[in-house]
Amino acid sequence: MSNEKRNNAIKKGLMYAVLILGAIAMILPFVWMVSTSLKSSSVTFVMPPKWIPENPSLDSYKQVFETVPMGRFFLNSVFVSVVSTFFQVLVCAMAGYAFARIEFKGRNVLFMVYLATLMVPQQVTLTPLFVLMNLLGWANTYKALILPGIFSAFGTFLMRQFFLGIPKSIEEAAFLDGAGYVTIFFRIIVHLAKPVFATLFIFAFMASWNNFLWPLIIIGDVDHMTLPLGLSMLKGRWTTDWNVLMAGTLVSILPMLFVYIFTQKYIIKGMTHTGLK
Amino acid sequence: MKKWTSVLLILALVAAMFSGCASNGTAETPAAGTDEPAAAEPVTIRYMTFSAAPDHLADLEAMIAAFEKENPDIKVEYEAVGWDDYFTKLQTQVANKTEADTFELNYENFVTYASKNALYDMESLMNNDADFDPSVFNETALNAFRLNGKQYGLVESFSNVVMFYNKDLFDAAGVDYPDPSWTWEDELVAAQKLTNKDAGVWGTYSPIQFWEFYKTIEQNGGTIFNEDKTEVLIDSRENVETLTWMIDKIEKYNVTPSDAQMSGQSDGDLFKAGKIAMLRTGIWMFGAFADAPFDWDIALEPGNTQKAHHFFSNGVAISKNTKNAEAAWKWVKFFTSSQEAAEVRVASSWELPALTDETLLEGYLSQTPPASRNVVFEALDSLVVPPVIENWNELTDAVGQELEQAKLGQKTPQEALTDAKAVLEDLIQ
Amino acid sequence: MVGFKKWDKAKTLAVFLLPSLIGMTVFVILPILASLGLSFTKWDLIGDIEWVGLSNYVKVLKDKNIHAALWHTLQFITGYLPTVMIISLGLAMLLNQKLRGVVFFRALYFIPVITSWVAVSMIWKWLLNPEFGIINYLLSLVGIQGPGWLFDADWAMIGIILTSVWKDIGFVTVIYLAGLQEIPDHLYEAAQIDGVNAWQKFRHITWPMLSSTTFFVVTISLINSFQVFDQVWVMTEGGPAGATSVMIEQVYRNAFGYYKMGYASAISWVLFICIFVFTFLQNRFQNKWGYSDE
Repeated sequence: MSNEKRNNAIKKGLMYAVLILGAIAMILPFVWMVSTSLKSSSVTFVMPPKWIPENPSLDSYKQVFETVPMGRFFLNSVFVSVVSTFFQVLVCAMAGYAFARIEFKGRNVLFMVYLATLMVPQQVTLTPLFVLMNLLGWANTYKALILPGIFSAFGTFLMRQFFLGIPKSIEEAAFLDGAGYVTIFFRIIVHLAKPVFATLFIFAFMASWNNFLWPLIIIGDVDHMTLPLGLSMLKGRWTTDWNVLMAGTLVSILPMLFVYIFTQKYIIKGMTHTGLK
Repeated sequence: MKKWTSVLLILALVAAMFSGCASNGTAETPAAGTDEPAAAEPVTIRYMTFSAAPDHLADLEAMIAAFEKENPDIKVEYEAVGWDDYFTKLQTQVANKTEADTFELNYENFVTYASKNALYDMESLMNNDADFDPSVFNETALNAFRLNGKQYGLVESFSNVVMFYNKDLFDAAGVDYPDPSWTWEDELVAAQKLTNKDAGVWGTYSPIQFWEFYKTIEQNGGTIFNEDKTEVLIDSRENVETLTWMIDKIEKYNVTPSDAQMSGQSDGDLFKAGKIAMLRTGIWMFGAFADAPFDWDIALEPGNTQKAHHFFSNGVAISKNTKNAEAAWKWVKFFTSSQEAAEVRVASSWELPALTDETLLEGYLSQTPPASRNVVFEALDSLVVPPVIENWNELTDAVGQELEQAKLGQKTPQEALTDAKAVLEDLIQ
Repeated sequence: MVGFKKWDKAKTLAVFLLPSLIGMTVFVILPILASLGLSFTKWDLIGDIEWVGLSNYVKVLKDKNIHAALWHTLQFITGYLPTVMIISLGLAMLLNQKLRGVVFFRALYFIPVITSWVAVSMIWKWLLNPEFGIINYLLSLVGIQGPGWLFDADWAMIGIILTSVWKDIGFVTVIYLAGLQEIPDHLYEAAQIDGVNAWQKFRHITWPMLSSTTFFVVTISLINSFQVFDQVWVMTEGGPAGATSVMIEQVYRNAFGYYKMGYASAISWVLFICIFVFTFLQNRFQNKWGYSDE
């Protein structure tokens, strides 16, 4: 038996080694960003780079909030991202479920259309969308930032695939008990789908949080600007204060990290769906 | 049912937000200039800028405050956008006719917008304004913003490129400082003495890219186009010589680092770290180099058969679609030529106002480093304006690519310039 | 379905599908159709729109820059797609184990995904630095002289692929993890009892059960990598000398640099056709619309 134990230990050891090496590779830029943001002078990108700043200081963080109204941008981004992500998960889940479980004529064709919308790049749909927003009178509003973000073929696709993967037996049993689609969806499916809900929440939040081109075009005044726009204002035409830019970038990353850690709970296998009925 | 209550709460919040924003949205759009002249409502002028972010927002606000004090019936709202994204945003707005009343344009883009008819012709505004005296502006700079005989913008600032040199490195190598009589040959000799492989010091640096190229060829008597831009002359013998010279400094004489050798470091950083002895770069770097740990100064660029220096300029234009041309004009005039605005600008080194006022310039000239600031103005005697055509961005990208291929050794300078000529001939049709 | 009337089904369908459908039509499909219309016009955004029929498309097909961009895009996909999928699947399986600190590792691996492209490109520009970078340094330890990476026309694309794989591993892993979590434990337990080895478990349980997830991953990654842009733009702007120019970079240049909205739209619709064809073929090949039976 000790041989087997030893093999297991070696296997585990290897797994840990791989994970740790990989993790180091993943963390490097983050560390560099933190290190740069603590540098006091704007002696920028010197070779070879200094990992530990000589006189670490929080000056760049101060500068970030003083140069541009970062606080306001931050709040705007939080508001827009949370609302649009929440609704996106809801809308896409329902649509995904419909595509996965409700048979109707033209379902496949419609789904193909959804998929096809992912194949057209943002760069060319921006201008028509901008014209549309102006026609609706929604330019420079929160509505314009939130609404387009809710409707995503990506989210619908993700949800559909997930629902297809759930064994039908659970729903069939519920139907036999007399439940309708809506009940099944909100009482059962939603619990089973916690991992994928959390997953979509992260992705959708990220996309909304980092969205740059669209807010750039649709927002005209400082009150409505989001974080990425604020960050771009930190870049000068000829030179960039990297330490300030990195500080700003770090500030903008933190919420996403927080969202990720928060949603991790739901991705972990919690209440199992294996033992149901 | 805790979940449902929270869902409902969020929905309620969102609904409240939306209704609040509905009124916000309409209020945000610029006040229509349909106010009767006698109305107490101030007119709002929007101004979009790239040069104010990130370092000069406070300066801009100071200027706006001064302007609004003098003109209580006009309010100025500004929008600062980073340089990289400025034109993406401006174009999309212009496409939808929602651009700002006044906006900043650098010279190159000015030509594009003017020739596409997006700008307000200022002639009538200028003529109707008794207080306006065009001679306060530097004539060359002001004329740069004319197209087909009409004035479409007022010049806000100008800047140029000169040769910066590290005095300490020159002293250590026992080389005389650059002076106006220098030619490329003199530069090469000095660079060879200054280059020190072991210490990682390079004698001289100028980039091989389109903007540097169109100026450097003029130092050898060549041009991109002929006078009225009907003929492409980019592949002339002189230009091939020039390109070869630029590449030789890297490959043959080893006095200039290649891109791989610079490995992503900027030329400004290397100069500041004492690794480049002579650097051609813009006067906008004065601020960045102010605290360099060595003595430095500027000089005129050496030419080959003649001298040539860059001339860059930013101007402010009025949108063709503005509803408040008069108010917009007042703002533009104030911003570009008033005493107050110019003083703020000079004091904080926000580029140079293109004005003829001597006392203003004295303030600029007396700041150090560098000590030889007069060079900035002497360079104006041999200035080269970008050879802008309507399809300017395509031109710069295409020629830039040819230059890169020559730089990488994928083509000979002759081949690269011949190919560039073919592309340019297509573009000017 | 037992006792379910057609009217109920229609109502349910409306409740579930309508919000998405309406929103998609207004905010997504309409602008897309508009851009299709634009592709038949010439528009510099400042002046008027001018109808030019198919001439944009003819130009696109003849444009050497577009040929090069399409070729580079295909190079990117070939290098990126299999690599990121294989590594991510392996990683997801690792992270699915009952190892200590798994949650911690998961967070770490996700950090590149949420790190901005500015930071990512700066650090990778350093890592790939020919003179001072770690990668060439490590290569030199085993006697290989590292290439010029982003400064070398032959290696720049590889550098971009490496960076993209690195950044997206976390993304794909998370998706695979969700899919792995779906697989009922009892299947593995039964196999364990039957004395099945690890490879067989993978082949007969894991891989088939992951089929809808894999379909999703491949489709999304294919669609996204055809549209690769952000990292190319930040790391090389399509250089050196156009060696990493890709389709969306051409779209962007034409739309916002050259004031050629109509032409840019045409390029993106040609790209659309490519993506559509590839996705269709891939779907055929996998022969799965995701209907997984147990």
